[in-house]
Amino acid sequence: MKLETRKIPESEPEMVEIRYHWITDEIQEIISFVKSRQGQLSAVRDGRRFEVPVPDLFYAESVDDRLFLYTATDSYEIRMKLYELEDLLKNKSFFRVSKSMIVNLMKITSVRPALNGRFSAVLKNGEEIIISRKYVPALKQILKGGESL
Amino acid sequence: MTKEKWRELLIRTLRLYTLLVTLITVLMIILGNLLDRDRVFSYDAFFSPLIYALIGTVATLITRSDKELSVRGLIIRKAISLLLIEGTIIFIALNADTIPADKNWVVPCLALGVFAVFVLSHLILYFIDRKEAEKLNADLARFQEKRMNGSPMNE
Repeated sequence: MKLETRKIPESEPEMVEIRYHWITDEIQEIISFVKSRQGQLSAVRDGRRFEVPVPDLFYAESVDDRLFLYTATDSYEIRMKLYELEDLLKNKSFFRVSKSMIVNLMKITSVRPALNGRFSAVLKNGEEIIISRKYVPALKQILKGGESL
Repeated sequence: MTKEKWRELLIRTLRLYTLLVTLITVLMIILGNLLDRDRVFSYDAFFSPLIYALIGTVATLITRSDKELSVRGLIIRKAISLLLIEGTIIFIALNADTIPADKNWVVPCLALGVFAVFVLSHLILYFIDRKEAEKLNADLARFQEKRMNGSPMNE
């Protein structure tokens, strides 16, 4: 694929143009990446493609090598690895709470202790997720305004 | 494990150890008064709670896991940890001169006492975690407010 970049005057709007013959996986991946940078994630539900706004996301969970996005009421599948999504959503209030999950800190109502030194987070839609003990120190650091992971 | 995680583990282990020393001392006072009131000890007896607490702490560390455990997995590990502690303490009781294991009810009372210390230590640690959760919630509220006002994540 040929890559072309061009410096433009500040008076012109910045844009990404993708010229394609067919929408292949590779093209779709590039589109998804660009959209995610604009605050949207391209995901699939019931065979249909949706643009999910990042602020609407509650959490993302990896199950059997597939990654799912969860909003207040719906779930979507996204073709991406969890660590890639985590990297993409860095500095957007998302935090890794376990080996297979990242959560939107803005969607947590409260945190309470669970078994064995772990904590659970109650989300704004009433769902409850487990925060693994090993991620608690980093969470404390972030909430205190420290560095993200 | 990162430095921060080691620190967290060390704090939790020391917290558990100190808690166990206190609870075991109380247990020894209660059981001693009930079952073997007239016995006189040397200063060496002060080591007992420290050693028993060490056994409890090591048993907890052995059954500790970095993996994400299910609730069932956790309960199984806790049960193994309790059995390990009970077994070790009863073994010591049957072999040490300081514990009158030959007297009726001493070993069952000891086993029950160990169980009580196990449950109490978990309860106290739960309340400490609850306090920590309250602090996390206060920090979370501040974080969300800041983000709503447009502050970046890495300040």
